[in-house]
Amino acid sequence: MLIEFQNIHKYYGAVQANAGIDLTLEPGRIYGLLGENGAGKSTLMRILAGHSRPTQGRLLLNGKAADGLTPAGALGLGVGMLAQDPLDFPALKVWENFSLGKRRRRRETLTRLRDLADRFQFRLPPEEKVAELTVGERQQLELLRLLDLGVKVLILDEPTTGISVTQKEALFGTMRRLATEPDRTIVFVSHKLSEVEELCREVIVLRRGRLVARVPQPLRAQDLIALMFGAEPDAVTGTEAGPQPQEQPLLNLDRLHLLGEKFALGDLSLEIRPGEILGLAGLEGNGQELLLRGLAGLTRVVGGRLVLDGSELQGRPYLAFRRAGIHFVPAARLEAGLFPELSLADHVHLALPRNGKGTAALSPEEAIRRFHIQAEPSTPARTLSGGNQQRLLLSLIPPRLRLLLLEHPTRGLDLGATRQVWQHLVERCRQGTAILFSSADLDEIFAYSHRLLVFYNRRLVADLPAHSTSVEAVGRLMAGQERTV
Amino acid sequence: MEFLALTLAGIVSTGAPLVLATLGETLTERAGIINLSLDGSILLAAMAAVAVGLLSGNPWLGLGASGLVGILTAALVAVLGPVLGRSQVAVGFILTLLCRDLAYFLGHPFARKLGPELPVWSLPGISALPFLGVVFGRHSPVVYLSLVLIPLLWWWVFLTGPGLELRAIGEKPQAAFARGIRVHYLRIVYTLVGGALVGLAGGAFSLAVKPGWGRPQGAEGAGWIALALVIFGGWHPVRAALGAYLFAALQVLGITLQEHFPGLPAPLFQVSPFPVMILTLLVVNMGRTGWVQDLAYRYPGLRRWVNRWQATAPAALGRDFQPEKEG
Amino acid sequence: MVSWTRPLARIVTVLLLSFLVTTAVLVLVDAPPLRTLGILLRGGFGSPAKIGQTFAVWVPLLLASSALLLTFAAGLWNIGIEGQIILGAVFATGFLRPFPEGGGVFLVAGALAAGMVGGALWAVTAGALKTWGNVHEIFGGLGLNFVGLGLTLWLIFGPWRRPGVASMSGTEPLHPSLWLREMAGLSLSPVSLIAGVLAFGAMVLLLRRSRWGLTLRAVGQNPEAALLFGLRPNRRILEAMAVCGALAGLAGALQVVGVYHRLLPAISSSYGYTALLVTMLAAFRPQLIPPICLFFALLNVGSIQLPLQLKLDSSLSGVIQGVLVLAVFLVQGLEERFLFPGRGR
Repeated sequence: MLIEFQNIHKYYGAVQANAGIDLTLEPGRIYGLLGENGAGKSTLMRILAGHSRPTQGRLLLNGKAADGLTPAGALGLGVGMLAQDPLDFPALKVWENFSLGKRRRRRETLTRLRDLADRFQFRLPPEEKVAELTVGERQQLELLRLLDLGVKVLILDEPTTGISVTQKEALFGTMRRLATEPDRTIVFVSHKLSEVEELCREVIVLRRGRLVARVPQPLRAQDLIALMFGAEPDAVTGTEAGPQPQEQPLLNLDRLHLLGEKFALGDLSLEIRPGEILGLAGLEGNGQELLLRGLAGLTRVVGGRLVLDGSELQGRPYLAFRRAGIHFVPAARLEAGLFPELSLADHVHLALPRNGKGTAALSPEEAIRRFHIQAEPSTPARTLSGGNQQRLLLSLIPPRLRLLLLEHPTRGLDLGATRQVWQHLVERCRQGTAILFSSADLDEIFAYSHRLLVFYNRRLVADLPAHSTSVEAVGRLMAGQERTV
Repeated sequence: MEFLALTLAGIVSTGAPLVLATLGETLTERAGIINLSLDGSILLAAMAAVAVGLLSGNPWLGLGASGLVGILTAALVAVLGPVLGRSQVAVGFILTLLCRDLAYFLGHPFARKLGPELPVWSLPGISALPFLGVVFGRHSPVVYLSLVLIPLLWWWVFLTGPGLELRAIGEKPQAAFARGIRVHYLRIVYTLVGGALVGLAGGAFSLAVKPGWGRPQGAEGAGWIALALVIFGGWHPVRAALGAYLFAALQVLGITLQEHFPGLPAPLFQVSPFPVMILTLLVVNMGRTGWVQDLAYRYPGLRRWVNRWQATAPAALGRDFQPEKEG
Repeated sequence: MVSWTRPLARIVTVLLLSFLVTTAVLVLVDAPPLRTLGILLRGGFGSPAKIGQTFAVWVPLLLASSALLLTFAAGLWNIGIEGQIILGAVFATGFLRPFPEGGGVFLVAGALAAGMVGGALWAVTAGALKTWGNVHEIFGGLGLNFVGLGLTLWLIFGPWRRPGVASMSGTEPLHPSLWLREMAGLSLSPVSLIAGVLAFGAMVLLLRRSRWGLTLRAVGQNPEAALLFGLRPNRRILEAMAVCGALAGLAGALQVVGVYHRLLPAISSSYGYTALLVTMLAAFRPQLIPPICLFFALLNVGSIQLPLQLKLDSSLSGVIQGVLVLAVFLVQGLEERFLFPGRGR
């Protein structure tokens, strides 16, 4: 099937996720789709798979316009997507998930499932609940289901997360075989360069919503990284960061194990000093959030120690962490961090009590002024734009802190606002607060961090001083490539 | 032996309305909708059964009326809830009060009249058996309906294609929608079907188990127990029905105990289902609190016990589903 | 200019719808619609005595609805309020039982305080079932309602029964010195009236002007964020329930001391459930609560006339109340989904 994207624009509110993408995909090939977080790859693929509709532009399948597509409609036309979080039913069994959507007798379903699973050497016990499967196995099941439905266009979104090497080999073998069949197209969305190099005939790179390049084989990792992250001279490192941190450690992690909802992050041993800024780099969902929440006291600690200012905090309740001087700012501002109907002034009153405990508290008017929030004290939080919500959240951070943890602090803010935020954060670090923040923007991480923690494949893979590394090197680490010293 | 058989027969018969209501609500909640109006709609349906039965002289028409009332109440929940986006809990609660008051108001002329009753059927063959014959052999048709529905619904929900779709809708409507399942339509259908069963439960009360109409009728509180039983039963038809029989046993036991211990106050027995209800809800819900989870983490034995008893609701229960808003 | 036509249209539609449905219901029982409604309304306001009775019902409704403002703000469905009223009545009666010869004003005050304790206790039990047992407050509250009712019945027919005759008319009446004095022929005590108004004012102030009230509202809107802010949501839930229960208990105690002067099986008269309807109808806008309570009280008192004059059941008042709230929901839903989709909550 011939796929044509014509001038695709997609806006989510004010955010432009896809900007004027013109792309043609021909059948019989495996395409790689590369790009950073927020580059627009998932958005584009969701449009192709019918989960979403473009704000502007058209999608043509075999020359016919595919407007108002739904997921079921796309499947009917032969387009199927294997998302990173598969839309499956965790409480139901494997064979039930396989057969849902297609009315068929149970015995037939089981036979078909077994045949397909054998063909790709997947081990999928039919009676097991899907919730018990690993993410990799869930993806395998979804893949089999799509193949059973006879999809012509198969989109795979980060399919190799959490599967074993043998399974990966089998998967790739399948992909190669499928691509040789007539009229089949495979789009392989990934950030793992080695795999993309191995599998794909041609690589499409997106950056900041735009199509940046189409690169045929032979592929070179350096070129791809440069295209994905933007070629930057290695010089810009830590020039904007605050003064060097003090010597005595503030926070000590000793073989800490954190247990999150989906996976565990293990064996972390770090030291953090007052006034130090650490940037957490890595693609979404690889452990940065878990670490931040764990340090805030919101995640269960199942091993090791967490010592702040000499006292052990692991196992203690959230309020103990707060009282010890730790503050956490979530990325989901309205859903997790604000009260929709309460006004800005209300938030200030709740966050910063005016009964001074020797600390100077902000008044709502001061908060608005100092953080440039475009609102009145009486404006309810839910009517604030994303950027203003973030500014509000930042204005609510208590004055004297030991440790400040921020998830994507400048997401959705323009350059001017970002600068203001960082001015404030750098001032805090000058006062001795240690800051950990996660960000999808490597430029930001490099501009403001003293040190970087790099996450890949749900593990902490590197702990580096910022001046000793470069965007390119970190990009490689994030993509799973070994660092060449 | 005779005594045991008679007691069991009493439990089967007393439990029939509760089983019907619980099974109906299980279906509705499996589709993701909460119909909180049970207590009121059972009363209204019971009243309708007596009224129509008396006016027409035909108890079967009365039974039909009760089913219809159940469907209509459920329709109100379906329209105001999923279709118009109001809180299902709020609408259900208002309807509970409204239906109860409506039942008392409209039923006033029929109070304490000798009501129509459904005939008692003797099952040929079975009623002749020594023990089972007494337990199952002579019952009102609604009792047989309740007995038949238990395996029937179990088969439907767990062994058929449509049943699988039902479970899918209650779990993750977005995923079901993505696979081409008609989520909105099916949610409404199951709400109505569940409502019909709830209505029939009311008819079972006033035409068989506690015949007649009055203020109070005797069916008060049954709807709330049924709602709790759905949770206690883990949204599984058989387990929920067993819970219903447990409560019926409590009631039957209560009557027997009252005769033997006249010193014990009557209110104790009338009220006893409700502490038991709270207890059952505690058992199946407690495992998800923080302090129990911490304990379970430290003591693996406790964890196994906790997991066995935990009831997990259909993930999308009570929540609005708006596929158009996605993407 | 356009801003007031929409609310007016809403109110008119709601009233029209409610009127139509009520008429249909009345027709079903062969009752003359207009005459019935007339008797209903006159029954509540027809004479000074009736007005006094209406206000006597207004007080517990006002107390309970005001209390519910707190729990609704905290995101709770306090269906258990009915039981909290009952327990307040029980505690108040229990407090006064050792004094069959009566006593002074301090005893009465003590009884009222005891009632508040009883209601608060009952409410906190439901709250604890939720915070420590994860039992939804609807079921916890309901279960406790029935238990409270059972407790009352047991006391009335058991340990507290009238010597010689155990009947549905309740316990031994209190000594007249323990009765709240009524205003001239109005069957309403100024103490009750003041209590109701003060409670309403206090709740509104608490909710809107105090830090605690703000914290409650935050917990109700976003428990996750409340946790992050260090607001201790579980603690707030228990506190809200306690205060709500105390006011409900006060309502129950006033019923004993001011209205019936003894403990009856139906001492709470469904005021708790009706109060829930009031607060839902008011869409949690406090200024609407006193007038709606008054209207509902009017309906309740008026409906007493129905069995006498028209041989109709008095539950018509409950029917009208329920229909009104449903009509509001219907109109809101239609507006949001079909007429003006895309508007916020």
